Amino acid sequence: MKILSRASLLIACLLAGIIALGPILWAASTSLKPTNRIFAVPPEILPQNPTLEHYAKLLAEGVHWAFLNSSAYAVVAVLVALILGATAGYALMRYPVAGKPAVLLVFMGTMAVPGFAVLLPTQMLATSIGLHDTWSILPILYAGHILPFAVWVSRSHFATVPRELEQAAEMDGYSRAEAVWKIVIPGAKPALLAAATFGFLHCWNDYVTGSTMVDSPELRTLQVALIFFQGFHGRDWGSLMAGVIIATIPPVVVFLLFRKFLIGGFADGSVKG
Amino acid sequence: MTQTRSNTAQSVRFQNVGKSYGDGWAVSGINISIEPGQFVTLLGPSGCGKSTTLSMIAGLETPTEGRIMIGDRDVTTMKPADRDIAMVFQSYALYPHMTLYENIAFPLRARRRRTPEAEVDRKVRAAVKMLGLEAMLDRFPRQISGGQRQRVALGRAMVRTPTVYLLDEPLSNLDQQLRVQMRSELKDIHQRLGATMLYVTHDQSEAMTLSDLVVVMSSGRIEQVGSPRELYNNPANLFVARFLGEPGMNILDGEALDGRLRGPGFDIPLPVVAGKAGNRISVGIRPEDLQYAPTAAAVIRGTVRTVEYLGSRSLVRVEVGERLIAAFLPPSVDLPAGAAIGLSFADPDKARFFATDGGASLHFHQNFAG
Repeated sequence: MKILSRASLLIACLLAGIIALGPILWAASTSLKPTNRIFAVPPEILPQNPTLEHYAKLLAEGVHWAFLNSSAYAVVAVLVALILGATAGYALMRYPVAGKPAVLLVFMGTMAVPGFAVLLPTQMLATSIGLHDTWSILPILYAGHILPFAVWVSRSHFATVPRELEQAAEMDGYSRAEAVWKIVIPGAKPALLAAATFGFLHCWNDYVTGSTMVDSPELRTLQVALIFFQGFHGRDWGSLMAGVIIATIPPVVVFLLFRKFLIGGFADGSVKG
Repeated sequence: MTQTRSNTAQSVRFQNVGKSYGDGWAVSGINISIEPGQFVTLLGPSGCGKSTTLSMIAGLETPTEGRIMIGDRDVTTMKPADRDIAMVFQSYALYPHMTLYENIAFPLRARRRRTPEAEVDRKVRAAVKMLGLEAMLDRFPRQISGGQRQRVALGRAMVRTPTVYLLDEPLSNLDQQLRVQMRSELKDIHQRLGATMLYVTHDQSEAMTLSDLVVVMSSGRIEQVGSPRELYNNPANLFVARFLGEPGMNILDGEALDGRLRGPGFDIPLPVVAGKAGNRISVGIRPEDLQYAPTAAAVIRGTVRTVEYLGSRSLVRVEVGERLIAAFLPPSVDLPAGAAIGLSFADPDKARFFATDGGASLHFHQNFAG
């Protein structure tokens, strides 16, 4: 019975793996096929004459700029959201803020509002204050998206760092700010890294906000830039798949780097938070 | 006590200090004067305000009234970092993400001290040598035992030779055996450093064994300040009399008449000092100052309730009137529960007399203004 249940577990895992990885592997394979072999019948599972022509084409089209845009937007947004979120989270945890429960509820509430509901008002607002189609609009909006989560996570994890540790640091000759920086932040590091990873993935995967808030080609995100391979070039599947593979790399790298914190961080939050 | 006084050790003075949190006073009327190099304990039941008092010296709480002086400096509103005080917390408060070395070096690396790394290393190694922690400097706090954590916390305090050490129930998280061991280590360290140490505990045996001076507190007020012997032999009031000693002083309430104090089950001569106190007087006597007496010579008569045989002596609980009192008697006195027993004072001078109303000692007029 034990062997049987283990075997069925293995098969289930294998199936799940195939379902999850299959499309990505297929995209990788397609991105390496010459254009005329993409729809070959019977399909080639492994490309017989692999080529990098689609990747070269992406470069020629300047998609690497979109890649850099997406990276820069995400990194700036995550840094801003973490700095503001950690500061607010600390204040909400440690100081007698007036109406604290209401403030927290508002932060929670904004996480529950669907992005589409506020998309149009946001776009009109961005236009009216002259930020629409500028380099700063996406980092600002992304930071806004992540901020409530960052506040919530940092607040609940700062609360797990005993007050006495801060007091000890103050007695040891450090200012309150130094105590927070040297003691409280490192204590909540796993949770903050988990929040950073989550935030990065959110920014990186965004399509809707990116396509609504900027029009200029040089400001586009990678996700938006890739969509143009569908129309302008009559569904250039090879280039599109090459773009998909490139777009997959940063989230995978980020996830592998912070995997430990991502899983641990959220699990911690669920028990201690 | 022979001790070398550290150059940095300073005096601490509380001048009429009080702390209110809005709904009444947590502590009030605190006047304590601590000399450089003294080991002073704040002793009292939980909630008596001793930790609040310690927090006010540390700067973690600001007094609502009064002044706190360290040496010549008025530190009443000074930030903790500016006071040059070290504190050992009940939870040890070791920084979990730092190794033991980094924990101990942490105060030296504060920007305000700008200690060169070579100096940091020398001081950390000197401290760990004194505490016997050399072998484990690369470990993290979670990897060491409670007693070792306690030593690291002490090391972190010692390494920068502060003007005053504050210790907040530092032994309470240790098991009994380790607590006794750390207690004597602490005493040894105090003597070697010659530092001013202020210690908070609810454990009277720690207070009695370690201190030059004990401050007994209850309900946010100081009940008595004195050496362990003074407190034990000459308590200022009924609270201190009952609180110190295991078990505490036996108290019997009676009425004074014609030079004698009488109550249910006892009849004793009153000393001259009791003359001015009206007629409601309580007598206090330590369990070890009572002796077994044939019924005719007894000044206290009662009924045996329990007998706890302790080897070298027995702790006998005796019901006198409606009170239960304790007496340490020779183990040869073997009486069954319910037996009638007579007791007398081994040394009548050791009996203490208190005004039943208010509880003040009739022997004792302490001036708290220090």
